[in-house]
This record gives sequence, structure tokens and C-alpha cells, in this order.
Amino acid sequence: MKRFFLIACAAAALASCRDTQERAGPAKAASRSVNVYIWTNYLPQEVVADFERRTGIDVNVDTYDSNEAVLAKLQSGVADYDVVVPSDYMVKVLVPQGLLQPLDHARLPHFENLDPRFLNQAFDRGNAHSVPYLWGTTGIGYDKEKVKEPIDSWRALFDERYAGRILMLDDVREAFGAALKLMGRSINEKDPAALRKAAAMLTAQKRLVRTYNSSDFANLLAAGDVDVAQGWNGEMAEVVANAPGRLAFIVPKEGGTLWIDNLAIPKGARNLDAAYAFIDYVLEAATAAKIVNAVHYAAGNQAAWPLIDEKIRRDAAIYPPQEVLDRCELIEDLGETLRLMDELWTEVKAQ
Amino acid sequence: MSGRHRRLLAAHTAIVYLFLYAPIAILVAFSFNAARQTAFWEGFTLDWYRRLLGNALLFRAVRNSLLVAGITTAAAVVLGTPAALALARHEFRGKRATQALLYLPVIIPEVVLGAALVTFFGAVELRLSLWTVVVAHVVFSVSYVAIVVRARLSGLDPSLEEAARDLGAGPFETFRRVTLPLAAPGILASALLVFTLSIDDYVITSFVAGVGATTLPLHIYSMLKVGVTPEVNAVSTLLLAGTVVLIVLAQRLMQDPAATGGSR
Repeated sequence: MKRFFLIACAAAALASCRDTQERAGPAKAASRSVNVYIWTNYLPQEVVADFERRTGIDVNVDTYDSNEAVLAKLQSGVADYDVVVPSDYMVKVLVPQGLLQPLDHARLPHFENLDPRFLNQAFDRGNAHSVPYLWGTTGIGYDKEKVKEPIDSWRALFDERYAGRILMLDDVREAFGAALKLMGRSINEKDPAALRKAAAMLTAQKRLVRTYNSSDFANLLAAGDVDVAQGWNGEMAEVVANAPGRLAFIVPKEGGTLWIDNLAIPKGARNLDAAYAFIDYVLEAATAAKIVNAVHYAAGNQAAWPLIDEKIRRDAAIYPPQEVLDRCELIEDLGETLRLMDELWTEVKAQ
Repeated sequence: MSGRHRRLLAAHTAIVYLFLYAPIAILVAFSFNAARQTAFWEGFTLDWYRRLLGNALLFRAVRNSLLVAGITTAAAVVLGTPAALALARHEFRGKRATQALLYLPVIIPEVVLGAALVTFFGAVELRLSLWTVVVAHVVFSVSYVAIVVRARLSGLDPSLEEAARDLGAGPFETFRRVTLPLAAPGILASALLVFTLSIDDYVITSFVAGVGATTLPLHIYSMLKVGVTPEVNAVSTLLLAGTVVLIVLAQRLMQDPAATGGSR
């Protein structure tokens, strides 16, 4: 009976769906809408409204909370998204599966606005399938009134003096990244001996850690539950901006992780013209600046620089100085090594 | 002695209720907090409710959630009640298998159900949309309705229906005037349960939602990347208020002698 229900429901839905598709058919052919799948609070309403006013193309925005959500949707083969915003490593997962289509750079005249520092990365050589949107870093947020001296190194997260007042991201790559960077290694280290040594450091550190947390770290720091917290810059920048006298965020001198979120077009996108129009619009200097000013993340767009609020340009949590950026690394796919890292991380957490 | 016991019991009850409701009370209080972070209290404001009105995406998410939960509840009640009736009142071949299949969506991990549904939609080339979310929710909701309504029917005396037929009522009239009123509290309870399950489902919805189908739970989860703002507290408070009104209404209805008239 359950099966009957399923089929009946599916049939009913199928019928209604066919209907709407037929009705929507001619409109779609003219590319009068574009379906964007993006992180929340990543695309200001005014930017959407301005694009709609200028082009007459309707923008449908849906939001997701993880790169894996994008992967699942595109793998289903029945999601109608025209623009998606996967992070660096996810681009590298999507491209070999044929889930993104090659970008025709001739249709993106504002591509030249992009900052060469964020182009042609290992995850997408020649930006064949993606263009950089916003980027950020991992670093340390801390309470200036509680720490003994200004923090500039990952060492602070392993410092006995802050026992019980330390927060680590609950993220295998970020935890190992901090330990590896402190060892002077790459966050993408594949040498098992080095990884074991990093795991030993993390095990020894565990006694000092108050909590492992990836979702609420900035609030816990702001609330005074911890004094030294590993974290991503966007959330940290926000709590620091609210209490600049008490809180600070830095990217450690050893360098941290760098992430880049990218605009891309899924294979089989139905509103191709609108998708290109939308991406090119986002690449315009004025649009990119508007986005940065609203969402407080850095854009990989150098033409936008003069148009960005002075306060944001000077905020090292959002735009770290070049010498710090030079020491930051993108998280790369580790292949088989990731399994070892996962096992070691499980051991660390289980101790 | 008994006075002391009573006081202990009262204290125990108070602690349990505090445990249950303190987080909700804090959420409601912080929806009026002037600070952007949830960590500090900085004074009273209605700003988040005002911002809520201007947040088109959040608003659409609420509308989507209510729409999905409403349609799902109606469909699940219409489909699940006859199933409950068949299982409670009739013997037929394959009854045990039917029963097992009906309970399966309740037991099956949501991730498995979500993955199975999205594969199914892919196989029949059904484009993901708000309708695929409704279909997915109906799939698990039908089971809950069938289980709850069946439990209610099993507890009723079948001789009441027999009496109705002895007195000359046809099968449909018996159903309409005896069985249905008797089952009504169960149906209402299952409807409330299913509405709640649908409105806060995240896992299955995240698999099957398509263009324009971001529901409230999807929206809230996706805010984690940039931090949850008190706007979410505000919208949760509004939903909470709505739920309380619904529950009070439901209880009124269930106490109404007309609704349970048949059992007198």
C-alpha cells in the first residue's frame, strides 16, 4: 500500500509538474530568469534588485549550508540551477564528474577585473570552469584583556597558559592545518610521519581545549566562554567589529588556510544566457564592491578595490596584508591521505 | 510527611519544566535583543521583527514551509486515514506485509529516505521543486497518520459500529456518523504531529528541494556560515506563537463534546 501511495503521489506531482513546465516553457526559452544556488547572506538583496531592474531577468535565489549540498543537488540531475557557488576543493570534485560546464570567457567581458592572485589555481587551471567570487582565511580570534601578550602564532592554541580557555574548529583539515603550520609544514602535507606527529600535538593539546566547535565559535569568544579561538574570518570580523577594544582577529604569522568560493554554471543549465549575464554583472567593479560592503568578505576582484569602504579595506581580518596571504594555502584534495588524517583525527577526538 | 513529598514533587516538576522551556524562553527574549550577537543583552528592540518584514528570502522560506506543511498534512490525512481503517477493521491477504511497509518510512533513517527519493526523482526525470518536497513529506507523513489513527481506532469498541448498522445505517452513513467522529481526535492529533514533522524537517528536504523551494529549516541551517542573526529568533518566536495558538485550538476542539459525541 505504501508503494501505491508513493506512485500515486509521484504521478500526481508529475502531472502537475509537466503542466507548469509547459506553461513556463516559452518564458524560459527567452532566458527571462536565472536560478542561483548560493550560501546564505552572500548576495545582497540590492544587488539582485539592481540586476533585475537593469536586465529584466528574474533572479531566484536558493541557499545552502555546505558544499556537499551543491554536490548532491547537481548529482541528482534534476535540479534546475543556472549558477552555483562551490568552494575551491568542491570545484575540483565537480569538474571530473562533468557537473560543471566549461566557461566561455568571451561572454564574461568583466573577467579582466579579477585579481590575478586568485586566478589559475590548482583546483581549476585557467579558470576553465569557475571564476572567483569571495575569499577568506582561517586564523585566531582572541580576547585582548585575557591573553598575556598579543597573539601572532598558532602556538597560542597549544599554550599551557590558556588551558581550558581554547576553542578549536571541529574540522579535521583545520585542526591538522594549525598543527602542521606550527611544524613548518604545508596544510596539504601527505607524509604519514609528519601527520602522526601533528596528531600527537593535537592529542597533547586536547587537555587545553575547552571545546571543538565550527558553527558558534565567534559567539563563544564574544560571550567570554573562551579566550583564544580558531575560526573563519567572516564571523570573527563581525564580533570584532562589535567590540574592537576587547577582541581581535589575526592570521598567524605561519599562515593559515585560504578558501575561495567560485561562480560556476552547472552542466545542463537551462538559462545559459541569463547565467552569463548574471556572472558578468557580479564581476563588474561596482557590483563586487557593493557585495563586499554588505557581506564583509573579501572579493577576488581588484577593480572593485577603490570602491570598497575604507573601514573594510583597512580591516586585516577581511583583507590580510600580502605577506600573510603569501603564507596562506588553499586546502587541496589529499586523495588517499585524507583517510589516514581522518583516522588520526578520530583517535585524537576519542582519547 | 505528605506535605514534604508534595513540595519535593512540585520542585521536581518545576525543574523539569525549567529544563524544557528555559531555552525557548531565552530564544524569545533574545528576539527583542538590541545586540546583533546572541551572547549579550543590550536592551529592548523590535528591530529584528522590522528587519524580518524586509527580508524577502526569509519571508519566502516561511511561506514555503507553511505551504508544504499545509498540503502535506491534508494529503497525508486523506491517504493515511483509510489505510488505518483498513488495518484496524479488516482482515485481508498481505495485511502483515502492508503493515510492515507502512511502518518502514518511520523507522528508516531520514538520510536513506532522502537519498532514495532524490534518486527516484532523477530516474523519473521529475525536476526538483517545491512539489518534490511535498511528495517527500507525504511519503513519511502517511505512515505517522496511519499509525496514530489506527491506535485510536483499535481502542474503540467495534460494537458501536455494529449497533449503527443494526439500526439501519449503510456502510457510508456508519462511517460518516459513527466511525469518523470517533476517530476525529486521532486524526486531529496525527494532523498536528505531521504538520510539526513537516515544518521542521531538514534532512529529507535538503535532498529534494529544488528552485524556489528553500524552506525555513534549510534557510536557518544555511545561515550558519555567516552566523545566525536575531532575525531567526524573531521568526522562531512568531512560529512558536502560531504553534501555541494551534495547540490551544486543537485542545478546545478535542474537548468539544460534538467532536467526541459518538462515545457518549
